[in-house]
Parts: sequence; structure tokens; C-alpha cells
Amino acid sequence: MATLIYRPEYAGYDFGPEHPFTPARLSMLLDLIHSLGHPTSPVAAPAATREEILSVHDEAFVAMVEALDRGEARPEAEQFGLGTPDNPIFPGMDLAARWLVGGALHGARLLIAGTDTRVLQLGGGLHHAQKDRAAGFCMYNDLAVAIQACVDHGWRVAYLDIDLHHGDGVQSLFYGNDRVLTISLHETGHYLYPGTGHIQELGTGSARGLSVNIPLEPFTEAESYLEAFEAVVPRALAEFSPHVLVVQAGADAHFADPLGDLALTTQTFQALHRRILELAEAHTQGRVLVTLGGGYEAQVVARVWTILYLTLMDLPVPEDLPQDWLDRWQHLLGPEVGRTLHDPIPAYPELPGRAERNRRNQDVVARLLDSLVRYWL
Amino acid sequence: MLVKEMMRSPVTVISVEATIGEAFQLLQDRGFRHLPVVDQGRLVGILTDRDLRFATSSFCHTPRTAEDPVSGAMSSPPLTADPLDPVEDAARIMREHKIGCLPVVDGGELVGILTGMDLLDALMILTGVTKPSSRLEVALTDRPGELARLTAFLADRHVNIHSILTYPSPEAVRTVLRVASNQIRPLADDLRTAGFTVLWPIAKPWQH
Repeated sequence: MATLIYRPEYAGYDFGPEHPFTPARLSMLLDLIHSLGHPTSPVAAPAATREEILSVHDEAFVAMVEALDRGEARPEAEQFGLGTPDNPIFPGMDLAARWLVGGALHGARLLIAGTDTRVLQLGGGLHHAQKDRAAGFCMYNDLAVAIQACVDHGWRVAYLDIDLHHGDGVQSLFYGNDRVLTISLHETGHYLYPGTGHIQELGTGSARGLSVNIPLEPFTEAESYLEAFEAVVPRALAEFSPHVLVVQAGADAHFADPLGDLALTTQTFQALHRRILELAEAHTQGRVLVTLGGGYEAQVVARVWTILYLTLMDLPVPEDLPQDWLDRWQHLLGPEVGRTLHDPIPAYPELPGRAERNRRNQDVVARLLDSLVRYWL
Repeated sequence: MLVKEMMRSPVTVISVEATIGEAFQLLQDRGFRHLPVVDQGRLVGILTDRDLRFATSSFCHTPRTAEDPVSGAMSSPPLTADPLDPVEDAARIMREHKIGCLPVVDGGELVGILTGMDLLDALMILTGVTKPSSRLEVALTDRPGELARLTAFLADRHVNIHSILTYPSPEAVRTVLRVASNQIRPLADDLRTAGFTVLWPIAKPWQH
């Protein structure tokens, strides 16, 4: 069982109808969980305060968010990553982002207090937000605020990011902090946003070796992804021996995601979610804080994150999607949605070049490990 | 990007009257591989660690000793660059002559040195991106206005371009952009609809 953190205000983090990071994803997700016969009783966490945001962000950046939120015209907004196609300005955005940060922070505090060992924050995962700028749909870095709270408590924190994109914001905020291990698996930045997350980014100073990046070839499939995961993640956690695991569980590495090129299936995600819980049992006495993240195909994210929820709650994963849910959301689900919670097998036609892709991923992992063992010995 | 932006300055030099042993020690102490040789302030040659090793090798016809003057081991006269030369011109000279550095001379005075390492720095600055971005690769027809059409398309969508590189290929001008957007696939779809040939991102095999 896990504690679920959610409140309706999360839907206020909304960049508008044309933007892929839409809160409709959360409504569909909750409705699917409920329709499967699992009523939820989420904890409604308070919004993070300005001071709590400032534990990781610059005051000038927060002041800019607040000014734009008040409707002030600021020509320098784009230097803070605000007012861009990725991060449009919308009224109420400061508080909307603070609700999300508050949820992750509350989750960290529940773990610190020992109230629970498993927490799922149903939202957030804004891993691109930087110290001094918004980026890639992310305004305030909820993950980093939660991690900082754990560090302030005296804990060593392992951060694991399975989003399609590199967790660049979290990485850079703790790049020189030897109390935080960041691990990110993602499609290689040679092509995909944000362009970072190369194996040479290893951390700095006393934190050298504590920034771990596993960049994967476009169209990487389950077998190669899980192989890379197993080659690096368990060993890194064992070397670091963290007190808590913070996970950004983005769903956009799914093959049908419109923004990326990795090719995982719902089955791969279920394997990953289970493995993450096993690793928490093995390395952090089960303590794990999980947030959502990227994921831009409605029918995919509802299914992947329902599987995440059921896994964290120790509930069985049923075969079929409820008909009433399909009927209610057909306008967003589109024709691609099947009748089952999992993807069909096979989920897509065979992709040419698999052997070459897998070999390249193996080479990348070997190079990464060659660098890491120097710091692990 | 000009040579003066990427060159090292001031330059450590050695006098033409110095010995090979002194030159060796200087290269060793400072971690250099290239040493301009001057005669009363005027550049007269260039001495590399390779020159030193060859001149003192027993495989050489007339091996020099540590006490011999550097003039017997240096290359002279050296090829030089002007501080206002574009770095790509300096790169072409170094590539054509297979040499590792160019002393930079302005009005007869040695003002800096450009090495292969500095050209690697230049490459990283020219291609590197320090802000979050996605890679877009487009094949443009080699005729006036094509690049403008592409950048205007991006400007219309308010997409900021962090870097843009073009290079010729037999079929087309390959154009690689790093753009400040996380929504590269929808952008590529729009570009294709507008008639552009997008090389990356490619269409997914399972998309109809």
C-alpha cells in the first residue's frame, strides 16, 4: 500500500488547450482507477510556500513568475524560460505550480516522519525546471524541493528518472551535492530535448560519479531498455546506499507518445514499476516517493499510470478497460485505444535495426560503467 | 569567429640562441607542445615537441645534443595567421599542411598562438548548445531563400533557435538546428506539411 497525494487544484497547472501537458490526463487517470473499482482517498497537501520554492530556485526567477502571474508585462520573461511555446504564461500559474510542489514536499515529509514508506504524488514530476528558469513545461522543480527536504533531514537521496527526457533540472540542481545521486534513463540528447544527459555528465567535486546518465537510441525497445537499467541502476544504488528513493515516473517513453522515439510498452512499464519497488525494498527500507511526469498520449498515460497506481497499491492489474470509462473519454482517447489495460502483443510492427540499436546501447552502458567504476572503487 | 577570439595570448616563446635542453625543459614545465622561436622579438621559427624528439633521436642522421641551439631543430620560416582571419581559414591551413599550430602575427609582431586544441574549442562553441533544446535536421534545396523560408517558419511559431549549422551533401544542404522546444515531433509534422524535407525526427514506423 502507498499513500496517495492529490488534490483537484493540480488541474490548475494548465498551459491551455493546445498544449500537450494537459490536466485532462489526471482526470482520465483518476476516473480509470475509480472505474476499475478502486475508490481513492487521497491526501490533500498544502501548497508549497514561497520560502520552500526558494530552497532550490533563485529569488529573481520566482519574482518573475509572480510578476507575470499578476499580468505585468516583462520583456525579459523569455530569459527566464517564461512566455515561450513550451512554457506559456497563464493567470494563477505561481500558485498552480506551488500546489504541485507542495504535494511532492508533503510526500517527502510523510517519509521523513515515518508515516508511510511508499508515497505516490499524482501529478508533478517537473524535472526540467532549473534554478533560474522554467523549461520544457516545468516551472517549479517539485522533485528538487522534495529532495532538498530529505537532504536537510540528513538523508542521502537517490533520484531515479524514467521519463523519456533527461532529468536535467534535478541533475544540475544537485550536480555538486554528494548527498544526492541522480540517475536518468532517457532518449539520447543527441536528438531529443533537452540535449543533455550524456554519459560524460558525471557530477562535480565531491559529487563526481553521482550523476548517472543512460542515454538510449531512438526506438529502443523493452529488452534493451531493461538490460541497460539492470546493468547500472542496482549497482549505483548499492554503491550509494541511499535513505530514500525519489522517482520521476514519466510515461512518455511509451512507443505511442507523440513527442519521443523510445518504444516501451505498458508491459515494460509494469516491469519497471515493480523493479523500482524491489530496489526500494533492497536499498531504502522500502522508502520511495513517486511522482508522475511527461506523457502526452491520453490513452497511454491513463493506462501506464493506472498500472503504476495498482502496482504501488499492491492491487492486481486487470485485463480489460471498463466500458463506461471508454465511453466517457472516447473524445480524448481516440481510435488507437484498445479494450485492454495493457498493450496488445505485439504492440507494433517489428522495427528494423533492432540488433544495431541494442549493440549501440550496450556500448554506451559499457562506456558509462568504465567511467563510474573509478568512483565506485 | 575570428582567430583573435580563439587564440592563446600572451605567448610563451624561446630565443633562437637558447639550447635544445632549455626548450625541452620549458615545454615539459609548461605542458606545451609548440614553442615559437624569436630572434630579438621577431618570430623566426616554430619548435614542437616532435621536432625535439626527432632532432635528438639516434635514428636521425646527425643527432643533436641538449647543448645545441634550437635553430638546428626548429621549422623555419613558420606559417602564420592574422588575428582577423576567420578560424575556418586557419583550420584549412593547418589541415592542408598537417601542422598543429599557427603563430598569430599582427604588423610583424607575435600576438598569439592558435593550436589544434583551440580549434576543437571553437568547434565545441560553434556546435555546442548550453540551453535546453531539441535537434531538428532539414534537407534544404541549394538555392537562395530556402534557409530564410525555414527560419521564418520557426519564427511564425515563436520557436527560438539556439544554433544553426549547414553543410553541403550531394543531394541537398543539410541544416541542423537546435531549437528551444520540447515539441519537436509536432513541429516536424508541420514542416513536412509545409513541404520541407525533415531528416530528423523521422516518422515513426507505426504512424499512418
